[in-house]
Amino acid sequence: MGGKTGLVPDASQLALRDLQSAATSHRGDRVFTRTVAAAAFTSLLVLAGIAIFLGLQAIPAFQTQGWSFLTTTGWDINTTPPTVGIFGMLYGSVLLSVVGLVIAVPAAILLAIFMVFLSPPRLSRILTNLIDLMAAIPSVILGLWAFYILNPTAEEWQVLLNKYLGWIPIFENTSGNFLGTPFIAGFVLAIMMIPIITAVTREVLSRTPPDLINASEALGCSLWTMLRYVALPYGRGGIVGGIMLGLGRALGETIAVFFVLKLVYETNWDKIIESGGGSVATLIVSRFGEVSGPLELQLLLAAGFFLFIMTLIVNVIANLIVSRTGRLQK
Amino acid sequence: MSTITFDPETLEKLQQQKPTRPWRKKPTRFTASVTLAVLVPALIVAALYLRSDIPGPILLVIIYLPLQLIASGIAAWATKGTRGISDSVIIVNSIGASLFSIVVLVSVIGSLIVRGLGALSPQFLFQNSVYISPSTPLDYGGIGHSVVGTLLIVFIASLISVPIGIATAVYITEVRGRAVPYVRFFVQAMSGVPSVVAGLFILTIVVATGAFNQSAFAGGLAYAILMLPTVARTAEEVLKLVPDDLRTGALALGSTRARTVLRVVIPAARTGIITAVILGVARVIGETAPLLLAAGNNDQTVVDPFGSPISSVPTFIFNNVALPYPDAVARAWGSALVLIILVAILFTLARVIGRGRVGR
Repeated sequence: MGGKTGLVPDASQLALRDLQSAATSHRGDRVFTRTVAAAAFTSLLVLAGIAIFLGLQAIPAFQTQGWSFLTTTGWDINTTPPTVGIFGMLYGSVLLSVVGLVIAVPAAILLAIFMVFLSPPRLSRILTNLIDLMAAIPSVILGLWAFYILNPTAEEWQVLLNKYLGWIPIFENTSGNFLGTPFIAGFVLAIMMIPIITAVTREVLSRTPPDLINASEALGCSLWTMLRYVALPYGRGGIVGGIMLGLGRALGETIAVFFVLKLVYETNWDKIIESGGGSVATLIVSRFGEVSGPLELQLLLAAGFFLFIMTLIVNVIANLIVSRTGRLQK
Repeated sequence: MSTITFDPETLEKLQQQKPTRPWRKKPTRFTASVTLAVLVPALIVAALYLRSDIPGPILLVIIYLPLQLIASGIAAWATKGTRGISDSVIIVNSIGASLFSIVVLVSVIGSLIVRGLGALSPQFLFQNSVYISPSTPLDYGGIGHSVVGTLLIVFIASLISVPIGIATAVYITEVRGRAVPYVRFFVQAMSGVPSVVAGLFILTIVVATGAFNQSAFAGGLAYAILMLPTVARTAEEVLKLVPDDLRTGALALGSTRARTVLRVVIPAARTGIITAVILGVARVIGETAPLLLAAGNNDQTVVDPFGSPISSVPTFIFNNVALPYPDAVARAWGSALVLIILVAILFTLARVIGRGRVGR
């Protein structure tokens, strides 16, 4: 963008570096450079701080609970020692995110295809703004909307799903209660993921070299064959990375899920339209309000530690994929 | 300038051909088939909706969608042959996906306006909620205390995260040290920290250690964690746009490196950096979970950033959403409308300022 990418970038770059290193000998500059470098490592400091402090809090929880903290499900503080396990919550976070992804991924990719290849430029500029606006909706507002507006509609859909597709195990519902289901929570997560996945997908698809598109059209490719053999393979890495970024957001989402999911302390394996499910982030907020003492707080911090580790892994993988494809495309 | 020569026979054939007008992208036959493909399924489903008692969602998913796919498939086949069919499937589905997103967005924004507008009044914006219970009529009390709290918390978060964010960007674009890839990586990783984890972290190191109460300061720290990556990444993009000529020019005039950055590069990127700050604020202003943990809740207007728990707009909404009192719920909708208007103003500001050219 800076006009330094022409045929002779080296001369000016070299000059700049020489001038800079000549200037670095100044004492004030050394102070400046070190201050800036120190500030640059704040992010590392914060990440390490989160891992260490929450990790330290997780140790006592592990001492009383052992591995059953991660492998069982339950939240009973009144027994001594408390019987607590967050497996169902961790699994629940993943289940909600998978439901969300099943809805969000096709919608977001199709939306991006529409914006890049089909719609007139003016319309796609409007759509871009709308998608940005969608990304900017605070999750508490989405929760409010889902609680009052989405819930009745979604209840109706789920009753129909159960009526006609109830023979498929995932659409079973024995309680007759269709509110607070993983499906509704997953749907809300999908609304949060669509803008993220769409933004990344649109970006990589619009970077498909026009030469490749023109060549494929000259060879007689239809829109579908062009997408199948040129655009989608070209942007695959970026799209996968965008999906992972959305997944990272969904795993850590707290407030919107809080309002639409009935938190139960047992594992809901696959009954997505049965009332009740789990989510680590939501567990933390909902238990925090009525926390009984330092021990329960420690258990919540331990849960937070594992949530942090889970989202960190997903995000690191996502960023590695995105930055690698970014480099390949340059 | 070369001329193409044809043998007379071909030339005659060519001259007898009708002009095809390749610049006219859509021949009438195409337009007609598209119109039919759009109208026929819609009319059938509309008739079914009015005349029969098949529930709406079933009508939409089981009847309309397949019907629309078949109709567009036939239209595509009629104009473009078999290859057109797969294209029509993609086109129909991608238009459907766009409509779906727009419907969701309109539903969210529309419901906010419809249900929130009734609660708005000067008193709602400026009074606090002391002596107000969930069942108190809407004519009394307001979210003034929450607005003050949000502004205070965001201000503290900006004080902390903006200098660090800009310094991070300066390190990446100006100092260009060896650690640049790692710094980038950590900033990216930090942007994925869930907001509830940021809240828990501040709770453990600030509140649980007894250093400070739940307060605007603690809430601001939690917000700063979430804001920093956005500020740093946007500022990095902006500083990259500053032409190298300015840097070489300043250095050649004998300015030190620090002066080059502080007096030349950053002022040149001023508007962009303001955009970065606004985007950072817009990113955090609706976050609820960290404030529930680190800032607490209060009915009174608090201006002391350290001493006592403080209310904010998101936590106010959170506390009122699921209450069984219509007036409390109306307050939640009203404050949600206030919050989304704040976010919209911030984004518009960022757009308008960001549009000004870098370097002015």
